[in-house]
Amino acid sequence: MSRAEPIADVCIVGVGGLGGIMAKELASAGLKVVGFERGPAPKRQDYAPRDSIRYLVRSDQLDWVRYEPTTTRKKAGEAARWQFRTSPLNVLGGALLHWTGQVSRYMPDDFKLYTNEILSGNAERAGADLSGYDIIDWPLSYDDLEPYYERFEWEFGVSGKAGKNPFAGPRKRGYPLPPLRHSARMLLFKEACEKLGYHPYYTPAGILSEPYRPPAPFDTRIPERPACVYCGHCNFYGCHVHAKAATLYTAIPVAVETGNFDLRTNSKVFRINSDGRGEVTGVSYFDPAGQIHEQSARVIILSAFVFEHVRLLLLSKTDRFAKKGLANSSGYVGRNILAHGDVRAMGAFDDFIINGFIGPGSAAMRIDDFNGNNFDHTGVGFIRGGTIGSSGDGTPVTRLDVLPPGVRGWGKEFKEFYCRYYTRTMDLNMQPETLPHKNNRVDLDPRARDRWGLPLPRVTFDFHQNERRLQKFMASVGEKIMRATGASRVWTEEKGRPNRWAGGTRMGADPKDSVVNEFCQTHDVPNLFIVGSSVFPTMSGYPPTATVAALCYRAAEFVLGQKHWFK
Amino acid sequence: MNEMKKSLTEDEERILTAIAERIFPATDTPGAVDAGAVDYILIALGGAYASQLPFYRSGLRAINRRAREMFGGGFAALSDAQQNSILSEFEAGTVPNWKKAAEFFETLRYHVLEGVFCEPQYGGNKDMTGWRLVDFPGQQFGYADAYINKRVDLEPVAVDDSEGEGK
Repeated sequence: MSRAEPIADVCIVGVGGLGGIMAKELASAGLKVVGFERGPAPKRQDYAPRDSIRYLVRSDQLDWVRYEPTTTRKKAGEAARWQFRTSPLNVLGGALLHWTGQVSRYMPDDFKLYTNEILSGNAERAGADLSGYDIIDWPLSYDDLEPYYERFEWEFGVSGKAGKNPFAGPRKRGYPLPPLRHSARMLLFKEACEKLGYHPYYTPAGILSEPYRPPAPFDTRIPERPACVYCGHCNFYGCHVHAKAATLYTAIPVAVETGNFDLRTNSKVFRINSDGRGEVTGVSYFDPAGQIHEQSARVIILSAFVFEHVRLLLLSKTDRFAKKGLANSSGYVGRNILAHGDVRAMGAFDDFIINGFIGPGSAAMRIDDFNGNNFDHTGVGFIRGGTIGSSGDGTPVTRLDVLPPGVRGWGKEFKEFYCRYYTRTMDLNMQPETLPHKNNRVDLDPRARDRWGLPLPRVTFDFHQNERRLQKFMASVGEKIMRATGASRVWTEEKGRPNRWAGGTRMGADPKDSVVNEFCQTHDVPNLFIVGSSVFPTMSGYPPTATVAALCYRAAEFVLGQKHWFK
Repeated sequence: MNEMKKSLTEDEERILTAIAERIFPATDTPGAVDAGAVDYILIALGGAYASQLPFYRSGLRAINRRAREMFGGGFAALSDAQQNSILSEFEAGTVPNWKKAAEFFETLRYHVLEGVFCEPQYGGNKDMTGWRLVDFPGQQFGYADAYINKRVDLEPVAVDDSEGEGK
């Protein structure tokens, strides 16, 4: 049975990190906002118990991971296999509940790949083979985003130290909090990089180094939170003291407090409805009991992560004005998906105890000497680069494969190695950029269905020539740095593993080859917005969170500026 | 822990126990069996890993079959060296007539080591034996010190979810 609700000003589909920010911004300005979250509202005991079997080893069994699988394959023509992913996290508050907390702004150069790499002749000098890639500039610049980066950093509380990274874009304000406490990993990495002439700096972390509440002129309604206690159960866990920057205990409570935010959890939107004139009118959704309802709205904002954005747009096709899917006149919905191809360098120390299990993963140092276009690419055979940072957290069940080549993974030999070296290993994590490639896309799986009978998003993704060369190069730089730490044994993993998804509804100046404009507004449908990393036309070596948050604040401001929509 | 659901027969359990001991053997310090890794697996096969039970059954059978072919006896009765040579074959995936040998070995290896190092509420890592072996102090609320280049001298801590502080 279908029931129509009174019209809302705004419907938000997906109340995670970005949906939470959106809800706070719009509801605070007096708009009537309805938020749909397909997962539950987690209670503190659901996500806090520092349990590595539950959150890491068996994460594929968590309800909120199982809700929304994808299917995955490397190239067209192959059979796609089911995959449960920890991103998105289908729960109120989303993946910011369990993220690592790395909050880097992109570099100014990261927004202009077409201009800076292709037009400039850099790709040619590098001898890069860019066949198959589809590179465009972003329709905005670092300067356009700078004020919004600042808001994110000050509302959520970021620990770091400005001015130490010579490659960073200009900023008006420093970080609100000093860096997190030094760890052995940070010190070894810093010394090694300085020895090699690189420029180490503190990874900006969305983890509080001191108790914090945003000061004016930022949003002082956000509650005070305590400082990190360095329990080390961080990446993939909820924080048991709420030191991690998560909308669940920052933006969402403020949004609810306004009285203008109608939050509906366990409610899954499966279709965006549109009229015949090119505007969206509302959404259809399953309530917690599986009943279908409709909610009409003046504006619809999708904040449900890469895979779901593509799926919803494709599922919402109409006979006439959206034959290929909503907002898809360009045919670019689902195209050019991106993911970092992380590689690692590992070290084992005879004479140094690291205790890598202490402190959050984002309590780290990093260099950008090999990120973006920060180094001479002449003749290297690829463009772009990646960040390199100290890493290596994890409980004993999560580091069973951190073994030097030649050490067997079982038996007496394994036992001897692991008992001596579990506390004496560290990793360097390299996050090489991936370029948009025409073969990498999301579409609807022709066979596999979810529990509601809807087709699963099918991910077709592989690394191509530029990534393979870059990944190998990044692993070799990591190896060099790891040797300079004084590690007794050093080894690398030089084949990239896809991590941190982006793309699929890219942003661009030209409606013919992109889906949204610089305000995350779809080119085809003026009252439909998409926020999240799906709008990235290219990525950087950095994690996406700070940039998606900045884009989200900017999109919210744009929506609020359209006062005639809400009369 | 709740009452254990019996997921394997006694014979199967005997083979599993012998394998666990080879994957993480008792030396001058406790091994997988002392740490409760077999209990961990039995509980998991009755619950979280129940869908893998048929795979376990056929894998354990294949290991026992190979033991008879190569050494004329059941796996559990062989010497350590004989058991190791069979497991090496499974690890390498070179067992005749069973394509899933390497996958089975890898699964077993993870599960046994999970059983050694898991949070004790899952039935393994008894008395935090596994954690003590590697100098990991468990589910500490936090650390007042960064312990840079020094051994963590804290008594390990296990948190029981069912009455967890998170509530």
